[in-house]
Amino acid sequence: MERFELRRQDFRLDEDQQAVREGFGDFFTKQVPSSLVRDAEPLGFDADLWQRVVAMGATSMALPEAVGGDDATLVDLVLVAEELGRVVAPVPLISHVVASRLLARVGGADELVAAAAEGERIVTLALQPVVGTNRQLVPDAAVARDVLAWTDEGLVLHTLAEPAAHVPNQGSTPLAWFDPAAGERTVLATGPEAAAACRAAYAEWKLLTAAALVGIAQSALDLGVEFAKTRRTLGVAIGSLQGVAFPLADVVTEIAGARNLVQKAAWYATHEPASRPELPLAAFVHAAHAATEAAWVSAHTQGGLGFTVEADISLFFLRAKGWSVLGGDPGQDRRQVAAALLATV
Amino acid sequence: MDFATVELTAEQQAFQQEVRALLDEVMTEEVHDHERTTGDGFHEGVHLALGARGWLFPEWPVEDGGAGLDQVSARVLALELARYRVPYVTSGTTAGVWPSVEQYGDPQLVAELKPEVAAGRVRFCLGYSDPESGSDIAAAHLRAVRDGAEWVLNGSKMWTTGAHNCQYTFLITRTDPEAPKHKGLTMFLVPLQSPGVEIQAIRTYGDERTNAVFYDDVHVSDRNRLGEVNGGWAVLRGPLDEEHGAGRGDGLDDVTMGIGYTRVFQRAIDAAARWAKRATRPDGTHVADDPVFLDRLGRLVVETEAAAVTPDPMGRTKASLSYIAGIAELIDLVGPEALLAHGADGAIEGGTLDHAHRFAQGTATYGGTTDVFKNMIAQHVLGLPRLRLPGDKALVR
Repeated sequence: MERFELRRQDFRLDEDQQAVREGFGDFFTKQVPSSLVRDAEPLGFDADLWQRVVAMGATSMALPEAVGGDDATLVDLVLVAEELGRVVAPVPLISHVVASRLLARVGGADELVAAAAEGERIVTLALQPVVGTNRQLVPDAAVARDVLAWTDEGLVLHTLAEPAAHVPNQGSTPLAWFDPAAGERTVLATGPEAAAACRAAYAEWKLLTAAALVGIAQSALDLGVEFAKTRRTLGVAIGSLQGVAFPLADVVTEIAGARNLVQKAAWYATHEPASRPELPLAAFVHAAHAATEAAWVSAHTQGGLGFTVEADISLFFLRAKGWSVLGGDPGQDRRQVAAALLATV
Repeated sequence: MDFATVELTAEQQAFQQEVRALLDEVMTEEVHDHERTTGDGFHEGVHLALGARGWLFPEWPVEDGGAGLDQVSARVLALELARYRVPYVTSGTTAGVWPSVEQYGDPQLVAELKPEVAAGRVRFCLGYSDPESGSDIAAAHLRAVRDGAEWVLNGSKMWTTGAHNCQYTFLITRTDPEAPKHKGLTMFLVPLQSPGVEIQAIRTYGDERTNAVFYDDVHVSDRNRLGEVNGGWAVLRGPLDEEHGAGRGDGLDDVTMGIGYTRVFQRAIDAAARWAKRATRPDGTHVADDPVFLDRLGRLVVETEAAAVTPDPMGRTKASLSYIAGIAELIDLVGPEALLAHGADGAIEGGTLDHAHRFAQGTATYGGTTDVFKNMIAQHVLGLPRLRLPGDKALVR
């Protein structure tokens, strides 16, 4: 690998990107108090909030202009996803955006893409290729009638009469078992190009989830830091003690790196997808680690209170793992990252 | 946001070729051997060759001894110096100290030194840590007492890397032991050939040489004082802030001052990856096909990717701590071959992994320990309250 390539490393957001971040940041902060998150449990879906997210343009912005979208880049989308993660918004935006972008890319389902852009139909995708008749857990399939899956025949759209039954899970997500025999099956695309599009969609899902995990980690950290500033022991704020402060410093370090790695991966995926295809996976690995670390450190900073259901850190602790694990074992991604290195040295 | 390749103009391309041509010529195996055996972080021939081209202060105007480089060309130069592993310690301390000298030094002294520094004939090292105070630089006890137009210095400094290759040390002294800790300090540019200066080598197991420097009734002219008497803290903060890194925001700087550490780690990872492609296990299977190997290697690669984009001050701790933990794991992944010394039968790529493992430990201390930086992160990034300690404002042992 060329380690000394002359490239810019400019993380500054332009005005439009700042507007996206601030716009969605304000939106999610105002619309999603923790009480709304709790009320949406255990399904993890708030239909009214979904309508408002759609009205914000979050479902259409991600699609190409040709199908009525705004051609937002993955850089824009990771900014939105981080803000979504900060409030753990109970909406299936990430799966839906990734699946509808895949649909638009392969073509052949124009009506569904249009309905997806309007948020009228929720689409999701199976993150593992279908093997035989094996069922698999699919994120957001408990609220989506349309499920994309890669099979021996190519990319198949499964349209069900009703979304599959919700399976209660630690992260309170609309998780459901997906049966490859279920629903009306339409083969949308075949061949290596379709397979590559599908792999790119898996990577997009991991990248946007990584961004959401950065948001989760940041909110978890903020709760811990706030507690450490105000809670006192032995006459001083506990946050002045290095035993409390240093783990929090380690967490903000992991988050800062994860956020930048996510944004760098998003830039490459947008502008040079062939140059560093492993970066979204690396970003996912690092963000998943950062979120897990942030959640437990923050909970621990709050002592016994951080272990209670009523403490908001519980929402982030349960989702840090509950959301990241939907992408499978990061070990799989680490192997791909290593393989990419071996191919270039 | 922009990570694109920087397109070079014809002139910039020619400059890149010029840099590579010079480094091909001067960065000989002898230079690498010299670095391995001396641990100096400096090679006089290379340093003077760079100085002759104005590349020690590449953005200075040509008439000041620089090369008048634009920012892109300066970045081209920096990347090539890193690629060729040009010794950087003494050139780095010299460049870091200069802004304080220029700002606070006697104008005539500055005028005399500027062309010499640019040419590489005059070099500066850092006289910061007293033996008992380490990273707590403001706790310096080394005493300076005025004697007419001179000052008399007594005391000692540790970790004055490069002192034996430098003409001056940028020295922090105690001029008022009664004043609050930060208000009794004065900075001097002390000629190292002065009578009473004794330089003793200290060796690290990272193959580096640093020094303890002893000052026994050393007389230094008041002309070599930098800034106000008892105003040394402000003078020192300039290069300290430089050492602690502050980018220009044009995307041409490294994200973190720790990038040098990450590069050494990446070099070891690349060597291990090449080893994996040719090595087989005793049972005949290829290492590169082992999913457990790939999983563990992948974790280290992710750590370097993260470290390289973690901004300071977090990036400084991340680069060092991820390297220290990661290189130990990398050694396990490769096995005993990884620790064979340079020149030993079977050593991997000249002992790259062996060296990287030994070098890692020092990175947690250079330029202020990782713990000092965690304090900065806690206070300045997280806004956590600072614990009041007896030595915050007062000079206490």
